[in-house]
Amino acid sequence: MNAPDRFELFVLPDGAKKVTMVRDTKIPNASMFTILKEDHTIGNLIRMQLIADQDIIFAGYRMPHPLEHNVNIRIQTNNNTNPLECVQKSMECLSREFTSLENSFIEQVQKKRNVADQYI
Amino acid sequence: MVNKSTTNGVSDPNLENKRTKVTLTNSGVENARGTYYSGAYTSVGYDNSFNLNRFKENFKINILSESANELVFEMIGIDAPIANALRRIMISEIPTMAIEKVYIINNTSILQDEVLAHRLGMIPIKVDPRKFNFKLPNKEYTAEDTLIFQLKVKCEKDSVTGKIINETALSKHLIWVPTQDQEEMFPNEEDRPRPMEDDIPIMKLRPGQVIDIQCYCEKNIGREHIKWSPVCTASYRLQPVISVDKSIKGDKANQLLEKCPKKVFDIEDSGQVVAARPLDCTMCRECIRDPEFEQNVKIERVRDHFIFSIESTGALKSREIFQEAIKIFIEKCNIVEESINKLVN
Repeated sequence: MNAPDRFELFVLPDGAKKVTMVRDTKIPNASMFTILKEDHTIGNLIRMQLIADQDIIFAGYRMPHPLEHNVNIRIQTNNNTNPLECVQKSMECLSREFTSLENSFIEQVQKKRNVADQYI
Repeated sequence: MVNKSTTNGVSDPNLENKRTKVTLTNSGVENARGTYYSGAYTSVGYDNSFNLNRFKENFKINILSESANELVFEMIGIDAPIANALRRIMISEIPTMAIEKVYIINNTSILQDEVLAHRLGMIPIKVDPRKFNFKLPNKEYTAEDTLIFQLKVKCEKDSVTGKIINETALSKHLIWVPTQDQEEMFPNEEDRPRPMEDDIPIMKLRPGQVIDIQCYCEKNIGREHIKWSPVCTASYRLQPVISVDKSIKGDKANQLLEKCPKKVFDIEDSGQVVAARPLDCTMCRECIRDPEFEQNVKIERVRDHFIFSIESTGALKSREIFQEAIKIFIEKCNIVEESINKLVN
């Protein structure tokens, strides 16, 4: 069979780096990050989180090809910081945000259960 | 990230409306794109940058209804990319068990082997996928990563009554065959692996036709094939806000009531029309189709108020699916974060 293995969509090949960074040679404080085996799910989210940062001048993402699950994120920052720090900060914020979201959800489920138990 | 500030947002009401709502008109949707840029409203004194404390303050979850396989809840104070990421993860990245390999020992029915195998693959299996490992490619089947089901059905005519037995091969005919210590994994009868429903028709048989099949279930994710998706549907919509002008009364009010196919509107004792059931609104815009109502009825959606609906196939409860989606996303974040930290060092 000529078809590629389906797990290639999400399993990182041996020796490959999940994230690579290439600095832009023409624009100051600009870099291109490539995240392997990810798609719009994480690309759009990181872009949104980045442009909410006051130090970001430009942030955008693209999937170079729909059959290759790689995401390119291009970032340009002001002189206060650099793209790497901004991505780090964004990922940290997203983790905390989702942890907070999870806690709220669990709390609500418990409340709902307690209310249901009262009427049993 | 778009969050309501403690000062209730932008001072200019038009701009605030644009910032927080999507407007639907006869000609289309206006102001559909959200503004996430941190400096978007600096000139009017509103800080649009992300603030975790502000997010925690404004964020709310309310569960509207919950049953074993369906969950409807609202999330207030988040942005579309977050809601969309959760939806995408629920559909395609939460692992479940599904039939992957089918060994056909005998099939004398009229259904081709490959069509039968495909139909078997789509049957949802009720078993907790968290008890199993992913099967590695080119590795042997083990009790830790595989479930085996046997499907052995023979259609025959009862010699006494003339009644046809086993006319339809159903999902209840799929019998779990425990291997090694799998019986110890499922001590309770109700936890034992089985198809989600007993009455899913697999194929029709005629007297004399036989199927004898062994099915091997593997754990995988919906991104590889939709049969591994734990949800029938996972969707969200924005909270509708419908406002009706006070000038609509009398006959006009009755006309407006009749226009709405979902019966969203009601007439109060004062004779004024109100949107009594905004959640039922499907945004068909029938109420503003008529030019005389277009000026008096305003249909909007709140940009950061999502109504999620998760319908499970049954392997996991809807509540568990949502929690798993969050865990998977946090894990993704951690993996990317670790890789970025390696770039720094």
